[in-house]
Amino acid sequence: MTIDRVLSTLRARLDLEAEDEHEVLEEVRAHLEAAVDEARARGLDEAAALAQAAARFGVEECAQELQATHAGWGTLEGVAAAALPVLLALALRWLVFAPDGTTVHWQEMLNRPAVWAIAAIALLLPLLRFPRRRYALVSWAIFWGLSVLVIAGQAVHW
Amino acid sequence: MGEPGDRGRQMEQMRKGTTTLAVLKLLAETDEPLHGYQLIRELEARSQGFFQFKEGLIYPRLHQMEREGLLQSHWEGAPGSRRRKVYTITDKGRRRLEAELREWETFNQGMRLLLGTERARS
Repeated sequence: MTIDRVLSTLRARLDLEAEDEHEVLEEVRAHLEAAVDEARARGLDEAAALAQAAARFGVEECAQELQATHAGWGTLEGVAAAALPVLLALALRWLVFAPDGTTVHWQEMLNRPAVWAIAAIALLLPLLRFPRRRYALVSWAIFWGLSVLVIAGQAVHW
Repeated sequence: MGEPGDRGRQMEQMRKGTTTLAVLKLLAETDEPLHGYQLIRELEARSQGFFQFKEGLIYPRLHQMEREGLLQSHWEGAPGSRRRKVYTITDKGRRRLEAELREWETFNQGMRLLLGTERARS
């Protein structure tokens, strides 16, 4: 048994963002190293010290709790990441286009506080509220992609 | 009333419920940031063995407390060398500590009154 083996066992039970996983594993490594050092100072050999440290650490229990803490909203996060930008893009569409389907002049558009509000919500809400960054990025991509598609599409009279 | 296993699980639940309070109290009293291993050892020593659980379970709790703004962390040590993530209590954490200590005292007082009443009747 090695510390790397213990960390591999832990890693196999986690499904986290890469950055979170790296930090968690580095923190656990530091813990195990400190525990081994302390056990060796008490007279245990390397193998016994590591076995004791791993047993006291509780890899299975820790993995379960870490996953629950870092997993975010689960499926709901994916749904929100897709639904939010669609709703915001629809709202933006109604602000950008006049009732007769023509595009509002860009100066008039920028004078509408609702446009700024929607842009701010689309930018900040995923960043501040989504536990996992990749869902925030997906939300941004969908929103801005839809916005460009709707506005550009209308502009070329699809 | 309960089997030994039941009492063990009850004690485990009580420990889980008080870990946040214990961690906040410890960090509020120390002048230096502490990493997870130090926290575990200090909790065990100060509680004279009462706070003794699977050591890895401290980390999900610390991470959750950091997300709630009760703690903040930073890494000590240069990249490539042995680095440790250390934690300090925030102002929000200190306010939570005060609130939980008040709640704990109220709970304790209630239990003392209750248990005192039980002994008086018998």
